[in-house]
Amino acid sequence: MKVLVTTAFVVLAGAVRAEVLLSDDEIQQTLSFGPWPISFQSDPSNRVSNDTRTIALGAALFNDPVLSVDGAFSCASCHDPEQAFTTSDARAFGRVLLDRNTPSLRNLAGLRWYGWGGKSDSLWAASLHPIIDEQEMGHSKESLKTAISESIYIDDFEAIFGEIQIQDPELVLVNTAKTLSAYLETLATGRTQFDDFRDALENQDLAAAANYPEAAQRGLQLFIGRGNCVLCHNGPRFSNNEFHDSGVPYFLSETEVDDGRFGGLNFLLSNAYTLDGNWSDDLEKQGAWVVRSVRRSHSDFGTFRTPSLRGVAETAPCMHDGSLIDLDAVIRHYSEIDTERLHADGEAILSELNLSEQEIADLAAFLESLSKVP
Amino acid sequence: MSSETQNAPKVHVAVDEIPLAQPFFILVTVCDDIAVSEVRVDAIMPAHQHGLNYAPKITALGDGVFRAENMLFHMPGLWELRVDANFGGQSISYTSDVVLK
Repeated sequence: MKVLVTTAFVVLAGAVRAEVLLSDDEIQQTLSFGPWPISFQSDPSNRVSNDTRTIALGAALFNDPVLSVDGAFSCASCHDPEQAFTTSDARAFGRVLLDRNTPSLRNLAGLRWYGWGGKSDSLWAASLHPIIDEQEMGHSKESLKTAISESIYIDDFEAIFGEIQIQDPELVLVNTAKTLSAYLETLATGRTQFDDFRDALENQDLAAAANYPEAAQRGLQLFIGRGNCVLCHNGPRFSNNEFHDSGVPYFLSETEVDDGRFGGLNFLLSNAYTLDGNWSDDLEKQGAWVVRSVRRSHSDFGTFRTPSLRGVAETAPCMHDGSLIDLDAVIRHYSEIDTERLHADGEAILSELNLSEQEIADLAAFLESLSKVP
Repeated sequence: MSSETQNAPKVHVAVDEIPLAQPFFILVTVCDDIAVSEVRVDAIMPAHQHGLNYAPKITALGDGVFRAENMLFHMPGLWELRVDANFGGQSISYTSDVVLK
């Protein structure tokens, strides 16, 4: 009897192991995509980061049209909380049709760069620019101060930042942006089926890991293997937060182009709202090394920030211009990529993957497992 | 580190575990007694035809030791670390391969 029990255990263990398809090396790479969630750290450049009262005020302002000069729309109009803080439009429509797809606003705390072109090095700066952009919220510093002063939020604002009438309009603008930032820092995607798989591998619980669908495992193998997706989409956020040419055309029309990172750096290096500037609350300027040392190159032209893939199944359409309608289209784009569209002297990373229909389905299954279970 | 220059002074690089897509620093030590006036540090990914996105900041710590900060490898794979050291007007190049997973 004892022999029979032992035999049964060995057979069972072997069967479970067979359902985890990854090699030891692939398992080690998989562990690098977690753990999730990552621990939150307050933003030292924003003195109201992680402040409960400020977060509540930021949430209220985010959803209120008071931040647009004519009350026409709120931040939430384009970053819809019911649609993963984006919309299904290919390109955002502010006061005009904007150049780019609306990015989701989750998992933004602690990044090195913000925006498709990386024109901001802090979340509060990224929150500031749309308020005064003529094509978006359209406020001036002065009109924003008046709007906040006359709004139902004035008591909370003054409780946090002091009397508004003695504040310079630019200070009101920065304080408003830091309030929004405190709220946005709290937005994060939850754990996913992939995270359960990854943690089970870390705990060497192969029985639990085997619950992860084999199609998703095969997709993961492609992601970290032949697909080379991991070159840019790495770490717990599935993004290196740097800038790359993905082979998506950057022509906006026959006569206009989106210069991407090239323009983002020009903007960043010519404005006052950086971590190296006087509006940062961090006396040690901890994050300022980025703006001080970033290198510029003509190959920045037409490159865009690597988006996180967490929650990606909820945020279609995809790419900086929203030109690919869903994950299937994205995978086929990389499978059949026209390398003639890539920068001639840019990085040599992408090439046609020539994926089979089965491989496309597997890769989609993996990417979908990075979103919450419906 | 290795150099194609014959009889080049020995240069040693010390680095802790390199985090992917996060900043780190290295220590460059010129092992010989010969005076070194300047050290420059850079890195490239030969297979991808790109280098570092941030310029390393070099600080002389004395006794031939230099600290290079703001290093950031934003992709996994083979990186070629390059050090150029200036010895009395002569610049000598050194390289070392680093594989980042």
